[in-house]
Amino acid sequence: MKRTFGALALLFLLGVLLVVASPSTGIKFGLGGADWKAYRYTDQYYIDHGVQEVGGTNIVTDIVFDYRGYDTLGEATVLFTAIAGAVALLRPWRRDEHEE
Amino acid sequence: MRSDMGLIVKTTARATIPLIGIFGAYVVSHGHLTPGGGFQGGATIAGAGILFLIAFGLGEMKRRYNHHLYSALEGLGGLVFLGAAMLGLGVAFFYNTLWHNGPVFNGQPGTLLSAGYLPLMNLAVGLKVFAGLVSAMVAIAAFRRWEE
Repeated sequence: MKRTFGALALLFLLGVLLVVASPSTGIKFGLGGADWKAYRYTDQYYIDHGVQEVGGTNIVTDIVFDYRGYDTLGEATVLFTAIAGAVALLRPWRRDEHEE
Repeated sequence: MRSDMGLIVKTTARATIPLIGIFGAYVVSHGHLTPGGGFQGGATIAGAGILFLIAFGLGEMKRRYNHHLYSALEGLGGLVFLGAAMLGLGVAFFYNTLWHNGPVFNGQPGTLLSAGYLPLMNLAVGLKVFAGLVSAMVAIAAFRRWEE
């Protein structure tokens, strides 16, 4: 019973996402021209000013490390926590050391 | 060790590990000029470490690997990243003061010594990712509880 409801809920969510992702009712793909200026003005700003303001010719690095550095800081923290958790959980158990 | 590979794999690993390492260092150090950067280059160098682990076995890896050193390197990478972010703290956090009025790293855009703290941050993140992935891989490889 619960599984049926779960499957129906997943199906409903999939339908909603399909409506949202169709170009006539929701978001558009492959923007260009006036649509680009209307919906992607932030990207246009980075492309125009990135090299002059940050200095790197790789715009992705400019955004990731300078404009949105906090995000990269959080990402590095996530990686650190994941490694620390994995290494902490994979240490030998106390019983194993005695068994050797 | 019973888990290491044959002669051909070992010889090929001897030849390719330095090449992978050099390519990863190139990706990290040119992160502000070409596609790639700290995360991608660090993962590439960690791939060289994992190749070493698989080709030469866990025993050889344990002899070369010191987990205190690798934990310290990972922490050092994070601290260098934070320190580079705090260089321009007089204006704002993550203010690229080396690029705007710094003594170094303010060359013409497109040259290696340009882009302010971006190369420093790429090196720090690359070091951090390499040390973290290698230590996680060694921890997984050293975990043996298949039996029972």
